[in-house]
Amino acid sequence: MNRFFKYAPNIFAILILGFMVLSVLELVKSPFLPFEKKTAQPRKTYHYAFFLPSQDYSFFRKLREGALSASQTMDCAITFHELDSDPLSLDMVVNSGYDGIGIYPYVKDERTLEALATISEAGIPVVQIENEILRDETTFFIGTNNFETGKAVGNLAMKAGTGKLNMALVYSEKNPGLMTDSNLIEMGLNSTMGSRLGKLHTRLTSLNPLDAEGLTYELIRGWEDLDIIILTDPNDTLVAVQAIIDLNLVGSVQVIGFGEDERIQEYINKGLMLGTIVRNPFRIGFSAVMALQEISTNGYTSAYVDTGISVLIGKIPEGAGK
Amino acid sequence: MRRFHISNSLRAKLLYYFLISMIFTILSFGMIFAGSLAVQDIADRRFADEQYLHELQGLLDEIQEPLETYLAIYSSSSLATLLYTTETLKDALPDARPVSGDELELLKKEIYFLIDSYLIQVNQIIELKRGRKVQAYTDAFEEMTVLYNYITGRINDVSLKGFRRQLGEYRTFLELFRTVQMYSLILILLIVAFAYSLLMKNINTISLPVQELSIMAGKISAGDFKVPDVNVHSVTEINHVAAAFNEMKNSISHYIDELKKQKDIEQEIMTERVRNLKMEQLLKRMELYTMQAQMNPHFLFNTLNTGVQLAIVEEAEKTADFMENLAALFRFNIREKKFFVPLRHEYEGLKSYFNILKIRFPNSLNLELDVEDDLLDRFSCPAMMLQPIVENSVLHAFKDREGLGTINLSIRYELPILRISVRDDGIGIPAKTVKALLTPHTHDYQLSSKVMGLENVIQRCYFFYPGEKEVVQIISGPEQGTEILININTEVEPCIEL
Repeated sequence: MNRFFKYAPNIFAILILGFMVLSVLELVKSPFLPFEKKTAQPRKTYHYAFFLPSQDYSFFRKLREGALSASQTMDCAITFHELDSDPLSLDMVVNSGYDGIGIYPYVKDERTLEALATISEAGIPVVQIENEILRDETTFFIGTNNFETGKAVGNLAMKAGTGKLNMALVYSEKNPGLMTDSNLIEMGLNSTMGSRLGKLHTRLTSLNPLDAEGLTYELIRGWEDLDIIILTDPNDTLVAVQAIIDLNLVGSVQVIGFGEDERIQEYINKGLMLGTIVRNPFRIGFSAVMALQEISTNGYTSAYVDTGISVLIGKIPEGAGK
Repeated sequence: MRRFHISNSLRAKLLYYFLISMIFTILSFGMIFAGSLAVQDIADRRFADEQYLHELQGLLDEIQEPLETYLAIYSSSSLATLLYTTETLKDALPDARPVSGDELELLKKEIYFLIDSYLIQVNQIIELKRGRKVQAYTDAFEEMTVLYNYITGRINDVSLKGFRRQLGEYRTFLELFRTVQMYSLILILLIVAFAYSLLMKNINTISLPVQELSIMAGKISAGDFKVPDVNVHSVTEINHVAAAFNEMKNSISHYIDELKKQKDIEQEIMTERVRNLKMEQLLKRMELYTMQAQMNPHFLFNTLNTGVQLAIVEEAEKTADFMENLAALFRFNIREKKFFVPLRHEYEGLKSYFNILKIRFPNSLNLELDVEDDLLDRFSCPAMMLQPIVENSVLHAFKDREGLGTINLSIRYELPILRISVRDDGIGIPAKTVKALLTPHTHDYQLSSKVMGLENVIQRCYFFYPGEKEVVQIISGPEQGTEILININTEVEPCIEL
């Protein structure tokens, strides 16, 4: 007992110091110390606003990440707005003190066009991402060349089988960037497939996320010779594949999707899809901020920046098609 | 050294322990206090932002209402209020609007720009009103109202986001604060344990030495002064007590040793005195024996000399010779009294005694002397030693016995022992008597006066040579004669000091 009391104070002192150090470390690594002022965010020169759809697709998440990543390395800060749930914010750009905006104009409506025109007239640089709904001297485009996209889809489609291939190209209001007046995707398909391109019908889905299901049923039931359905929206892709599974037509009707959603990748791995067209949203976001920064600092930038596409290919079915 | 004393004192130690415990306690409570301040800071920041935005919203509201009144009825007072509030709002806006990476700061910056635009629109509307451009200011007012609502919405957004953020911070903080509280609770328990163990350690450093001292005191009180010194390492005060205790113990031990030494010395003196008394007693006994043996030796000596002369005159040679020897014997007996005398003196005395005995017992006693003459002058022996021994043989050895008895005296030197032997061929001495004779004692004589002379000689030998156990030997057996041996160690000084 006496030996215990001989050493106990030292042991307790060490324990006290240990717990004290742990406690201090807990306080130090927290931002709450009263004497430690909150670390000031680095001052930036430019403030840009990005207007994106509110959908929680990985495409937009990555686009956002790309933009934020760019803002951290560049002399600018970014505020994000949801274009569909807060359209007024676009109208208020001219009053908000922004040095430029990036917009993913998935809807080409009058209000959006008018707002962009006002912004452009106010001398605020506008970078349109993927979809170029307004073209003038102060607007810029960042995105994919739709003709190239068409060529990539064509190359992928020819892997579905030999002979002529009948295809349905499903545009979507959810991704209007691929819908162009000059039908660049169809031109790309034609240029790649040539004589192997059979019948090509185009369809359009609305903003309703389930719209693609009905359209898929309609296409399959109304078109017996249909070989491939080409979708231009990730959500439509998922819905259409599920419809084909439900109809037990996997392999009979091939699907070329759009986007790299995890479930899309899973479908590809399982052989439920022929492949998917993937854009690089991170690069798109990063390039958009970089373009705005160039405009702010130099006064000009490239009017068109192609961020490219990539193709994810699944198992090629032997003897697929007709 | 002084510093060490101060730091090791009980008072200083208690002070140190108190301070250490208090420091730990203060630090522990300090952390809780810091956490509380952080809570206040979170609340303060939120309240400050909220209050400022609320103020801006209030000013916007104050503009909107008089503007409507002004546009409706062209009220100059409303205009004045409007202009005043507009200026107030303008002043309330910060000039510096830095662009930061923080979302809330960006929102606030946006609000400031929106308010700027709002104020511009207000001025434009006032100008349009003054210009009576009804449609224009109506449209502008409508547009401005949209902006006003948008600003209100943004302010609400900022409040909501700020609140959510602060709530998030608050939750994070609460988790941290709970952790800190848990640490603090553990710390408080540890501090209590630390203080208690420190106290017990300190008590032990005091109580254990005190206990040791009490045990030592018990041993000392039982008379054990050989216990080792108490060696304690305690506080200065206890160390002093232990040192003083050790010093006291050693002093008492030393004092007692001194007393013992004095007592021993006194005991030795007493023993010496007893010895001296015994010696005196022996001498007195010897004198008594002598006196018993001789009555007025000087008178007798003179008378004997007269008798010698008378015998010579009467030509009685044998009588003259006898008388002369008798006279010599008396002369020997009345010698100067010394404890030790040259061996020759004893020898000469014995020779005279022998001559007398030869005359007295010419047919029954044969006396033999076997002595190396050079030994007689080299050595000394206790006075009145030889004659009593021989006399003892004459008186007792041949009692109730007929025929010739022989008494032999021999003196030999066997380095370092001077061996004096008186041997007779008489009836011997009983073993019991031999044992009694050879027993050293200091009390009165045990045996009958018949052997008093021999016993006196033996006891004197023991007295003079207390360390020599075999200074006297008696070899005797029934009808086998007796040999009395006096073995004087010539290398040992006789103990003759009074």
